[in-house]
Amino acid sequence: MRLTSAILVVCFSAILASGVKASQHEITVQLPEIETSQYHRPYVAVWVEDAQQQPVRLIALWVEKPDWLKDLRRFWRKIGRSNTALVDAVSGATQKPGTYSLKWDGNDDHGQPLAAGQYQLLVEAAREQGGRSLVKHEFILPAKGAVIEIAADGELGDITARLL
Amino acid sequence: MLKKSALLLSSLLISSSLSAHTLWVVPSHYVLSKPDSWIAVDASAANMTFVPDKGIGLNALKLYLPDGSVKPVTDAYQGKRKSMADVQLGGDGTYRIELANPLRFFTSYELNGERKRLMANKQERAAQLPQGATKVETVQIRSRNFAYVTVNGPTDTVIKVRGEGLELSSTTHPADAVAGEALAFVFNLDGKPQAGVKGVLSYAGELYRNEAGRIDFETTADGSFSFTPEHAGRYLIEASYSADSATALADKVRESVTYTFEVALP
Repeated sequence: MRLTSAILVVCFSAILASGVKASQHEITVQLPEIETSQYHRPYVAVWVEDAQQQPVRLIALWVEKPDWLKDLRRFWRKIGRSNTALVDAVSGATQKPGTYSLKWDGNDDHGQPLAAGQYQLLVEAAREQGGRSLVKHEFILPAKGAVIEIAADGELGDITARLL
Repeated sequence: MLKKSALLLSSLLISSSLSAHTLWVVPSHYVLSKPDSWIAVDASAANMTFVPDKGIGLNALKLYLPDGSVKPVTDAYQGKRKSMADVQLGGDGTYRIELANPLRFFTSYELNGERKRLMANKQERAAQLPQGATKVETVQIRSRNFAYVTVNGPTDTVIKVRGEGLELSSTTHPADAVAGEALAFVFNLDGKPQAGVKGVLSYAGELYRNEAGRIDFETTADGSFSFTPEHAGRYLIEASYSADSATALADKVRESVTYTFEVALP
């Protein structure tokens, strides 16, 4: 009992600590297990575009060599090919199959809060000697607690976004 | 002299045997995300789009760098079915790979009821035409076969219209062509939009489908031709234009272009 309350206290103070910062949207991305003789971890990009399909925020980018960045076709056209600084700032290592939680503070790439309006969340994955998947889902800001659910598709598992 | 006329004859034979074929230049990659990459460039004269048929000389193959400067391509091999060149690109930007023949002049005439041809322009022809030649006409011929390749961010220098001969420009940057989105091309003759340019649009994979899906087009008054590619993949535009525009060197002008490009997945 004492242990539980200690954990509760820790959790509560963690919430308080994050609450000091801007509120965070949470996006959960699953990478499926794929049975194949030659498995390479997929390259993955998660970003937000506005109603004119212009990218406003790159949330995550899991890549390795620059050679294959172009295979994230839409990401490459919209962001990758012309914004090297952003790619360098956001990119991280590729991930193995599993469930990953991403935080988004609701700001654009320049740290400014996004204006109210229509946007879409995009997730693209491309795997060497495998396939390519692109999923997208529209949402409106302010989101007022909306939850986006995108069903698994090819290289991507289920995706859930809890918007504040 | 004998050798020279044999050479001339053989070049005439080659050009006539290839006349039904379309010459195209296809890079292994249209889009790259790494500077200093190598690409392979295939060229062939063929009937079926991107199914190689006859290798062609690549002596005139050139690489235009993003800054507009030109580099000859030297690592090339001419095969029976296709020719290939190794080309190393440099830094960011859009490159143009072009196989263009210099201006050529053909004079045709009739002698004793038979149609004949010789390689001479209007000023040279008088010395070469046999006595009694009638219906003499000199045509200026030029062909350009090209493709664009983009490393990282696209640039515009090498895609700009140069204002000479028949040229093709696109309102969408070649690196932005996407399946399901309209593409508009403008054909210019000597820098001005040209109506009545006839051409054919085709895309890869004709060997594996019954309907080739080719589109025959003719440019409208503003020199344009528009279509929406349904499929991602590699496309070919071939077009030509003949004009009765007499110059000091020719009575007629015939210009042709072939252009290959990639349509990306949305």
